[in-house]
Amino acid sequence: MEKLKNNPIVKKIGFNKIVLCCVLLIMYAFFSIVSPTFLSYSRILSALNYAYFLGFLALGVTFVIATGGIDFSIGPVMFCAALIAGQLLTKNELPLALCLLSSVIVGMVFGIINGYLVAYCGLPSFITSMAIMMMAKGIGSVFTKTQSVSWPQGVETGGWYRNLIKIKLGTVQLPMGLVILLVAAVICAIILNKTNAGRYILSLGSNKEAVRLSGVNVKKWEMIAYIICGTMAGIAAIFYVGAYTTVQPGLGDTFNNEAIAGCVMGGTSMAGGLASISGTFIGVMIISILQEGILAMGFQKDYQYVLTGIIVLAAVYADIRSRKRKN
Amino acid sequence: MGEVILTMKGIDKSFPGVHALDHVDLEVKKGEVHALMGENGAGKSTLMKVLTGIYSKDEGTIIYEGREVEFSNPREAQAQGIIIVHQELNMMNDLTVAQNIFIGREPMKGHLIDDAKMNEEAKKLFERLNIEIDPTESMGNLTVGKQQMCEIAKAISHEAKVIVFDEPSAALTESEIEELFKIIRDLREKEMGIVYISHRMDEIKVITDRVTVMRDGGYVGTLITKDCTKDDIINMMVGRVIYEDPKTESAVPKDAPVVLKVENLNAGKLVRDISFELHKGEILGFSGLMGAGRTETARALFGADAKESGDIYINGKKVEINNPEDAVANGIGYLSEDRKRYGIVVDKTVAENSTMATLKDFMKGPFINKKKEREVAQKYVDSLKTKTPSVDQLVVNLSGGNQQKVVIAKWLVKNCDILIFDEPTRGIDVGAKSEIYHLMNQLVAEGKSIIMISSEMTEILRMSDRIIVMCEGKQTGEIRIEEATQEIVMQAATLRN
Repeated sequence: MEKLKNNPIVKKIGFNKIVLCCVLLIMYAFFSIVSPTFLSYSRILSALNYAYFLGFLALGVTFVIATGGIDFSIGPVMFCAALIAGQLLTKNELPLALCLLSSVIVGMVFGIINGYLVAYCGLPSFITSMAIMMMAKGIGSVFTKTQSVSWPQGVETGGWYRNLIKIKLGTVQLPMGLVILLVAAVICAIILNKTNAGRYILSLGSNKEAVRLSGVNVKKWEMIAYIICGTMAGIAAIFYVGAYTTVQPGLGDTFNNEAIAGCVMGGTSMAGGLASISGTFIGVMIISILQEGILAMGFQKDYQYVLTGIIVLAAVYADIRSRKRKN
Repeated sequence: MGEVILTMKGIDKSFPGVHALDHVDLEVKKGEVHALMGENGAGKSTLMKVLTGIYSKDEGTIIYEGREVEFSNPREAQAQGIIIVHQELNMMNDLTVAQNIFIGREPMKGHLIDDAKMNEEAKKLFERLNIEIDPTESMGNLTVGKQQMCEIAKAISHEAKVIVFDEPSAALTESEIEELFKIIRDLREKEMGIVYISHRMDEIKVITDRVTVMRDGGYVGTLITKDCTKDDIINMMVGRVIYEDPKTESAVPKDAPVVLKVENLNAGKLVRDISFELHKGEILGFSGLMGAGRTETARALFGADAKESGDIYINGKKVEINNPEDAVANGIGYLSEDRKRYGIVVDKTVAENSTMATLKDFMKGPFINKKKEREVAQKYVDSLKTKTPSVDQLVVNLSGGNQQKVVIAKWLVKNCDILIFDEPTRGIDVGAKSEIYHLMNQLVAEGKSIIMISSEMTEILRMSDRIIVMCEGKQTGEIRIEEATQEIVMQAATLRN
């Protein structure tokens, strides 16, 4: 075991990520055995539908958690963006491209407000994002007059956005969303690890005062993390309606927890300073497979919550243990 | 003064690499106020920690009320009647005064706390001490002075026989100090043994009966206060042989240009009207005792804390410094006394820490040029002789001295002309220390200018070209190195006005 951990390749990838991948594979195998219907292409596509929007939420919130903060508003912000953009599309009949853009902008605006309050006004992110969450729910409701909004189906005109999720090639449906999500993950990883934004976000998450005393505008960079997070929630909205068509007002908070769970599972530290995009990606996949598997077995979604909770606890405990041993 | 209540004899204590206490003696009598004096790091606090069982002693005996004792924790010492009133008060601001005093031993009525009785008891305590404090007031609403009196009341309620006051007057106003002295005299009347730790010479003369002086962890002697002068005590405090050559004359030419000029800097209680000039190629020492306001001055100058007023000129030009960004942009670098908290980012590598202040210069388009970053970091690892396996090592794995070198590298990469070194050698072993001294001399030879804050007298006398002495937020002396002696510096450092 120790030998395996010190293997240079294992070290490079990270031991915990290898364990996570194993968990993912074991889970997949388990569901395939207990539920014969699970091993079908349509099930995979269905699991991926869940992974798309959750993936964007989780990638975004990884940046906030890297600063040592938290954002509990992403789920409702995603719904709010989907409701507003959907309303503009169906009732106001604006062009689709503009509506998709407006969804991203709604998310970004929430990110800006959230980030400004945390970074410049010094409010705790826990409270701020809680308040924003409630506001996002309310605003979405008010905007649609508490009606749910149904985005156009694929066959209708203006349904081309669905090609972002699945694209038909002859009779086969290809998971276009997976390609886009992977590209997004790679871009996020580059931002986090190769740009000054990522460097400052991680550093200030580890020791904000030391970074400030190095003459860095820490407020600006902290706010940028929240803007990235909000914007990603706006993008997530497009993938949510692309997969599920209908959005109801007043919902979305369960997705916060699942997105944050995905991050934490992947080895991003809630204390800030350490974050892993690839970890987040695997974490999201685990949650998505889990939810599809539970459904395939004919259980309610509640079982999925219980299992997700257990996996998060186990992952965080293992992470803390390994870090303690290092020190 | 009555009979002896506490005798500490031949107390010896070593930590890895430091001989913190070297056979120290202390004797306290009933009805006596006994001053314990010494410079920063002389071992006063360590001695008191040994007394109350926070540290265990390596050698020596403690005799309390006629029998030998060894407490394993402060609670045991407290139960026997030995109590420390700390400089930093351990109070819960949202609880009431009475709740604070009786925390952990609340009077009960069945399973519920008997608030009425608790308040009554607290009131009685205050009456005994002749203090007027409402037991039902929230602790946070009291002034620091009143809070301290609550701490004293708490001590009395534990049936204290020996009370140690650790720099009690540091945070108090004049009138609060008067009140404190009244209470201390009252306690003396009640035959308690009192140990009074303070830097303030005037107070020692007013309130204490005897003085024990410590220096560098050793016992120097005990005097009867009324028979000795302030100078006697100062001489005992500093009378060590300086083992490192002090600088005898300044190497800075008379006509060296002024690179930094600070006028009437004010920021809070500990930075009052500070004005000074820093010349090119000069090491300007800032000396003073704990709480003199040196770090606060540096932080206000660097923009780390808000300042109330004051003008800063760099190379004769007035500049606005409102945050560290401004300071860094104006070529000022700051090495904090607490590198873990303010200097390094432990989860990042040596290379990443080295470029923290200059990342802009390492960008290639939107990306960080990691190759260049590592090359530059390596250059400074080599020139500063930082001991690290590679520049990719996380700084958390480096020793204190090497972490300090990484922080220095950060400012050297920035090529700052003005460097503020706040306690540059604190917690660093002797070898690394002399390397850092060497480096500082090299930097000024290259034309950089250094403000060095230090609590070590030898360091001040060895490195500085000129010394500014502070005491309680005020500038109490400016001494040229040619005239500086330990006694003169210490005189200024204890000059309250």
